[in-house]
Amino acid sequence: MTDAIDAAVGLAEDAPLFAHRRARAAFVTGSEACRHAVLAPEDDHGLAPALRLALACRIATLNADTALATAYRTALAEADAGADLAALADGASALPAPLRAIARQADLVTTRNQTAARADIAALVKAGLSNPQIVALSELIAFVNYQCRVTAGLRLLKD
Amino acid sequence: MPGRIRVKLLDWAPYIEPVDIARANARQREAMQVTPSSLGISLYVRTLAHDPESCLARTILFNAIMYAPGGLPRADRELGALGASVVNGCPYCTMVHARRLADLTGSDDAVTALWHDRPDRLSPRGQAIWSFARALSATPSAATPDHVRALRDAGLSGADIIDLIHAVAIFGWANRLMHPLGHVVPAARC
Repeated sequence: MTDAIDAAVGLAEDAPLFAHRRARAAFVTGSEACRHAVLAPEDDHGLAPALRLALACRIATLNADTALATAYRTALAEADAGADLAALADGASALPAPLRAIARQADLVTTRNQTAARADIAALVKAGLSNPQIVALSELIAFVNYQCRVTAGLRLLKD
Repeated sequence: MPGRIRVKLLDWAPYIEPVDIARANARQREAMQVTPSSLGISLYVRTLAHDPESCLARTILFNAIMYAPGGLPRADRELGALGASVVNGCPYCTMVHARRLADLTGSDDAVTALWHDRPDRLSPRGQAIWSFARALSATPSAATPDHVRALRDAGLSGADIIDLIHAVAIFGWANRLMHPLGHVVPAARC
């Protein structure tokens, strides 16, 4: 069965690279378990799945990963999320609180991680995020950046 | 080469209050893999245990990618991790994985060359891995078929390159936790 990474890379079950990925079964199952843990966790700490999908779409777009961004956008549309989350997914910065602070952190850590500092975490606290929410947000941002590098690398091995 | 580099130890401290082990719930204890006798769980793990589901899932994936037997040698995975950590700007991860690379190769040569920004002093295989790791870590990725050709020319199989992609990618994750959530501090002990 194909997974989210196969779909984004464009791998069918009869593709050689599909089988080569399965030689490292723990990477495949582990990536799927992580995707579930950051996008649709049992305990979302009040960061709803639709918000997570919108952020994932925004981060995949910053990574110029059209296939992943489209997959997240499609899932977001099915979640019937509303205008604010659509704007978040589209990369807008004029957003209501706390989405504005959340979007700013996602953009910062994705594109300029080395400049992230204590004041940026303080800004999330000021926007009302709890410690579990700050950690869950951080894991989501970082996961999508992981996923984008796996897909970018595997596409180079596809042919 | 002048200016030989030996990696010093640093510690890491979070910007938020870590989970108190004595007050952790069952899921947090599971994510920290706490046993009745366990001591010295790192501040990093205690910080990330605020979200035990992602903490546990990521730890399992990270260990598979960095420690799975066979395939790409561990030193090559560490060189990929180091290239990612430099591009992603995580000083703590850079220090730890420079140290691991030196320990696994039994030599400070590679770390010294890279500290002086002389990747041309690495082996051809090391140069190909370093170049690919840096390119794949850019946002968006700047890795090209030429990078993959260089890896194959240096003797990496397709399976080895899959291992390397994951080692670089998982540091695209780890570096984006460790640096935004905390900072390096001088080591408490040597």
